[in-house]
Amino acid sequence: MFEVAIQKRRRGLTVDVAFCLEEGAALGLFGPSGAGKSTVLACLAGVQIPDSGRIRLGDSLLFPPPLPLHRRSVGYLTQEPNLFPHLTVEGNVAFGLPRVRARTVEQRAWLERLRRQLHLDDCWSASVTRISAGQARRVALARMLAHRPALVLLDEPFTGLDRALVRGLVADLLEWRQALGFTLVAVDHQAEVLSRLCPQVLAMEAGRIVERGSWAELRRASSESLRALLNPL
Amino acid sequence: MGTATTAPPARSRRPWAHLGAGVFALLLLYPLTGMLARVGPWQWSGPVGAASLASIRVSLLLTGLAMLIVVAVGTPAALYIRRAGRRARAWWQAALLLSILLPALALGILLTLALRPEGVVGGLLLRLGMATSNSPAAFVLTQVYVSLGYYVLGALVAFDAIPAGLEQQAALLGLRAGQVFARVTLPLARLGLAAALSLAWVRAIGEFGAVVITAYYPAGMPVQLWIHLQSFGLPAVMPLLLAFLLAALPLPLLLHLLAQGRRHV
Repeated sequence: MFEVAIQKRRRGLTVDVAFCLEEGAALGLFGPSGAGKSTVLACLAGVQIPDSGRIRLGDSLLFPPPLPLHRRSVGYLTQEPNLFPHLTVEGNVAFGLPRVRARTVEQRAWLERLRRQLHLDDCWSASVTRISAGQARRVALARMLAHRPALVLLDEPFTGLDRALVRGLVADLLEWRQALGFTLVAVDHQAEVLSRLCPQVLAMEAGRIVERGSWAELRRASSESLRALLNPL
Repeated sequence: MGTATTAPPARSRRPWAHLGAGVFALLLLYPLTGMLARVGPWQWSGPVGAASLASIRVSLLLTGLAMLIVVAVGTPAALYIRRAGRRARAWWQAALLLSILLPALALGILLTLALRPEGVVGGLLLRLGMATSNSPAAFVLTQVYVSLGYYVLGALVAFDAIPAGLEQQAALLGLRAGQVFARVTLPLARLGLAAALSLAWVRAIGEFGAVVITAYYPAGMPVQLWIHLQSFGLPAVMPLLLAFLLAALPLPLLLHLLAQGRRHV
């Protein structure tokens, strides 16, 4: 079970959310800009520390006290791919894994599978400063998956990509989630993208949860602003 | 890509730009034409040469030691200041600026007074066998003080240029703080750190005003130049000046070339 209850003060806003999620389930956080969605994700990842509350992922207590980042089984993708510019694509994907000669047969096979299925063959040996934006997102995805995280957090990682590329990445993510069984919490301003990734949704406004349930239930929600976000046209 | 270091702009081919750069280079290096002045036959033999060689050895060895201390102390300090809150950071920056703002002569006088044998620190160092005046320890300590601020401020700029997201991502990928530093922070900051160290080196090895107060002996090259000027005149100064340039320049130049040769493009 993934149990979350966090309070975090930001400038002019207090983020206060609580939810429980079955391990392996997927949950979308939806709402207007400034609602506190990214703050929640940053707290779950550990790059921000909540003021109070509790975060537990299975047997692992993430907060309090804050568990050091290197001991969390968490994958965190943001708008910036945050690739290491001094390394190649291979160096990025295998980052944190044992060095080439020390890798087990299974680890090599796993990297090979990521390379093949995420279409990274052509750029595998290239510097990440020489690849396209779409390839960069695939590299970031592969690097995260290489560690088989128990929890994956997506903070609008598809921003700025064209629709075809986003569709491909979402399909990849769904496939990998099925294969690895990680718990997923995602934020995206596009309801279409988020609803494909996560059947369940929490709607947030001004730091608080205002609706929770399925996307169909959210569409029946009373909030004008949420309805406007769901139907931007 | 957001994290990529941008490549330098393509080389300009406009003639006026080359002309301007040429004029700038002439102005920059113009003082060196003084070495072509007729000052009489250059003097190197006998005591002049022996003292010059000794000063070269003193400068290279002790400045090298000072730089090891500067890097060992300054790098963690810069990392600490980088993570400090806004107020604490402003305080640290003011303290660092103050340390490099002091006229060298004033710093030498202040150091001598602060490390006087009857003082707490000076007395303690003396009991540990380190005389704080006219000794190798005094020489190294003075060089550390004159260059540390330059190194830390440069290192701070280098560390600040690294997006925090990269280090966080490395930690989330299972690396401990030390490993993140070695595998992400250091490789990405090396160009800036090399520049900071170069600056600290040239500042320290060329230091005269503070060192002449705290460590007239053992004489490094700048102090020896002064002694030569006083005792033998310009003919004894010129060869040591040339030797100074040849001895002091390779390290910072090499650091720059090595770091720039591994730019992330």
